[in-house]
Amino acid sequence: MISSGGAVSPGLVGIGLRAPHVAEIIATPPPVGWLEVHVENYLGDGPAPRVLDVIRRAHPLSLHGVGLSLGSAEGLDRRHLERLAGLVRRIEPALVSEHLSWSITGGAYLNHLLPLPYTEESLELVCRHVSQSQEALGRRLLIENPSSYLRFWHSPIPEPEFLGELARRTGCGLLCDVNNVFVTCHNLGQDPAAYLAALPSDAIGEIHLAGHSSNDVDGRIVLIDDHGSRVAPAVWALYEQAVRRIGPRPTLIEWDTDIPELAVLLEEAARAGRILEPRAPAGAPHDVAA
Amino acid sequence: MTSLRELQRDVRAALLGSEDAGAAALVAADGLAPEARLQIYRHHVFTTLTAVLQAVFPVVCRLVDERFFGYAADRYIRVEPPSGPCLFEYGATFPEFLDAFPPCRDLPYLGDVARLEWAMHRALHAPDAAPLGPEALRSVAPEAAGGLILALDGSVSLLASQWPIEAIWRANQPGAVEEGVTVDLRAGGVALEVRRRGDDVACRVIAPAVHAFRCALADGRPLAAATERALAADPTFDLPGELGALFREGLPIGLTGSPSTTEND
Repeated sequence: MISSGGAVSPGLVGIGLRAPHVAEIIATPPPVGWLEVHVENYLGDGPAPRVLDVIRRAHPLSLHGVGLSLGSAEGLDRRHLERLAGLVRRIEPALVSEHLSWSITGGAYLNHLLPLPYTEESLELVCRHVSQSQEALGRRLLIENPSSYLRFWHSPIPEPEFLGELARRTGCGLLCDVNNVFVTCHNLGQDPAAYLAALPSDAIGEIHLAGHSSNDVDGRIVLIDDHGSRVAPAVWALYEQAVRRIGPRPTLIEWDTDIPELAVLLEEAARAGRILEPRAPAGAPHDVAA
Repeated sequence: MTSLRELQRDVRAALLGSEDAGAAALVAADGLAPEARLQIYRHHVFTTLTAVLQAVFPVVCRLVDERFFGYAADRYIRVEPPSGPCLFEYGATFPEFLDAFPPCRDLPYLGDVARLEWAMHRALHAPDAAPLGPEALRSVAPEAAGGLILALDGSVSLLASQWPIEAIWRANQPGAVEEGVTVDLRAGGVALEVRRRGDDVACRVIAPAVHAFRCALADGRPLAAATERALAADPTFDLPGELGALFREGLPIGLTGSPSTTEND
């Protein structure tokens, strides 16, 4: 039985919970709709997962994974999946998400969300792994579009179509990272508006927003998805387009490098809330961050 | 056509190996050389994993300086990349890597300092377990006591070094320089116990006989064998006192009879 989390209402903005803010957030729960954590940091024992036991009393939680490696040709890491299932049972998160990528080959974890060639072979493999994961977790997964710096020559299926087909075949939802759409499209010479238009709106269950950096590589500007600054103006514009097209969705502000004071994240969350609010369905709780 | 499995092996070789083993040929240029595109991924893999190691081994990093640490981490990541996505488990073999790393030859204590830092890191993520009270021993018949096997708290690590690694560790904590903490490398070796209580990890110096006793128990040896080890280290080893201390400190979390004793009975 696969249940879909849904404790986060579409008009609510969340922020990523990061170590420097944990004590402050426990002492004074901030006015945000929900919190998202990187699940791999909480799969051990001891004090780390206990933090989530406390945090979940004040906020719905989203477990966001980077380690399932759904695109690994050598299959899923069963131990990792079991540990993840254990944390899902313990925390009862509102949302559980992972990435369309791979990180493990030959028993080595490469600590990067590496790109797949979008072929029928990859599609069948990722579908199988998403289904196995949803079965093991007893939950619907949301799958995030990665940020990419390369594409393979042989990759005939466009990424949004690949994601759409994945959602159709497995029943998974999609996590639309608007910053990743922007970064990938810039780096690979594609049109972000066309990308968004090609995603199936109904499948999108969450949106991510984050900052990126701009780097000169051999005379060409490459955008790096480093989550180390405020959301770029062009990404806010793309987010507004997305919300206009698909309607409000739970939206997350992510920040992972050069982490600023919590207040800065709350400002970004409030800005996202102002974009979501006029479109929140009647009766939905107002975004308290706005 | 390249299978997905082959493609992933090629990308791994390009990211971790010293030369590109064919991945670049699979990547579309799109106005930027495939090698430059792969380099973006390689850079991320190495900088993030180096940061993980730096966070676990801050004293080692301080002892060798950040630049050299980056060089050692780079070599280590290539030969022993993480085996799974939970990066709090990454770095267990870094101390042994440093032992055998030729450029570290002049710092013979470095591996032991790294072992101490790993023990402290490991303790933080060890399972919680309820300690056994001393009443657990009451039901044991005196003749069976020697065959008892005590399971110890999973956060415990016992270390011994011929170098004053605890003093080295303390002298390299934030603020230690200002407080004038110094280390005499000729001070000799030390035996240590690292464990977590509640949320806090601590390290303390223990006597060599206590170290021998607790190591034997941690290895799953029965009480009689552990006592022999301790007496070999110090003929004045006080078994009742040390057994009492073990329980007072909440170390035993399980108790079983030795299978061999049961057979002999």
